[in-house]
Amino acid sequence: MNTSGWLFLITSWGIIITLAVYCFSKVLSKK
Amino acid sequence: MAVAGSAIGLGNFLRFPVQAGQNGGGAFMIPYFISIILLGIPLMWIEWTIGRFGGGFGHGTAPGIFHNMWTKNRFIKYFGVIGIFGPLVIFIYYTYIESWTLAYAFFSLTEKYGQVAGQDTMVSLLKGFQGLEKNQFFSDMRYAYVFFLITFCVNTWIIYKGISGGIEKICKIALPVLFIFGVILAIRVLTLGAPDPLKPDWNILNGLGWLWNPDFSSLKDAKVWLAAAGQVLFTLSVGIGVILTYASYLKKTDDIVLSGLTAASTNEFAEVILGSSIIIPAAFAFFGPVDITNIAKSGAFNLGFVTMPLIFDKVSLGAFFGCLWFLLLFLAGITSSISLAQPAVTFLEDEFNISKKKAVIIFGAASFILCQPAIFFLKNGVVNELDFWGGTFCLVLFAAVEVILFGWIFGMEKAWEEIHHGADMKLPRVYKFIMKYITPLFLIFILIAWFYQQAIPILFMRGIEQSDKPYILGIRLMLLGIFFTLAVLVKIAWQKRKTKVKT
Repeated sequence: MNTSGWLFLITSWGIIITLAVYCFSKVLSKK
Repeated sequence: MAVAGSAIGLGNFLRFPVQAGQNGGGAFMIPYFISIILLGIPLMWIEWTIGRFGGGFGHGTAPGIFHNMWTKNRFIKYFGVIGIFGPLVIFIYYTYIESWTLAYAFFSLTEKYGQVAGQDTMVSLLKGFQGLEKNQFFSDMRYAYVFFLITFCVNTWIIYKGISGGIEKICKIALPVLFIFGVILAIRVLTLGAPDPLKPDWNILNGLGWLWNPDFSSLKDAKVWLAAAGQVLFTLSVGIGVILTYASYLKKTDDIVLSGLTAASTNEFAEVILGSSIIIPAAFAFFGPVDITNIAKSGAFNLGFVTMPLIFDKVSLGAFFGCLWFLLLFLAGITSSISLAQPAVTFLEDEFNISKKKAVIIFGAASFILCQPAIFFLKNGVVNELDFWGGTFCLVLFAAVEVILFGWIFGMEKAWEEIHHGADMKLPRVYKFIMKYITPLFLIFILIAWFYQQAIPILFMRGIEQSDKPYILGIRLMLLGIFFTLAVLVKIAWQKRKTKVKT
């Protein structure tokens, strides 16, 4: 895997994980 | 939770790797992410909004919802029929494919495929199971049919229990279990290294690189855009009609901005993080970069049902991991298939005032009969035909109708206000522009590109064996019959409503 591949993977995974964690924490805090 | 369950399905773990494999891995991912931002997420919010809006008028399905969004138009409710027809058609073949995953989980435990060596023999096992040929593994379709019956009954029972009593409860258990299975499998695959010491380049890191090394040349290829946009619609369950039904049960104070984003991010976690870490890197490490594309192109189910069992056969505790893989697929499948039944069941309940029990019995009987061609004429290309009309064409068409109705007829100002009712978060204003202009243009582009590239060969059945043409024609007539019946039911329901108002 080349450097741009790593960058692409880390950015995409980072955004998805951050968004999922943020949304779930908001949903749980509303309950 | 129910919408996340609906979105997370076979599309995440089976369809996504196949689409990525067929479209060159890294070449697929850029159009895929752009499609999520411009198509998937806006459509998610649009469906949640119009679903909740329709629910306020006592409608849980597209005909009634569309009618309330454009009361002056007498015909718009018939466009809404696509939102019941599409999921019903997907349900017909999806349940059957889902039953294969349960059967293969059983075969993993009983080590039915434990002695099979080589791609060709594993393909034979799959074909024997599906009834496409008689061989040393299967002499008839008995196993396939028994597992279909079990899967169908489980689906019907959950649907009968209702959204809060059945679907929500199942999703609350199935989704965490599915994620645990997915994480275990991903860790197992990512720690495989280079399984063949003679081919050190065939390793997991290069497998990930095959998918993630960006290839900007693909941006010029309409075919890759079509595949990526189609995958986004399928995986997020948008353009189907299911989210409308779920959202119709929400209260005006519920936060649909957050709910839509939560469902989308959960689905993307399952697809991009778990889905991309299992099949693709494992298949790359065992079969190399050339074969991975060939396997993906050789059949939609070969990566999941042929390559993966072969890989599990080569690792320690293979039976356990194989069973885990197919149970993961089964759980993903069932949380989606039960949602596909909802529009039809809710339509009968809402528009004909019949009890849930009766609605489920009618739906169960009708869909059971409609499933039979998918089972017995699989070899004649019937499932591919159903998937094209129900799982591809209707999705794009229905999404286009929804988005135009939302941004242009209902009105963007009113729509924007409707989205933000009860929402803590405010959407970036750029999404107002995206929803009104970009998403509809994107969908129209897909429809035009499809028409230009594929419509004529598909409509005239080019490339289909002469002997299979009567079956394909038969299925098309069946689909027309289903659509016509649903349109007539809509007409009857509205006539009844009119008579009621007069009296």
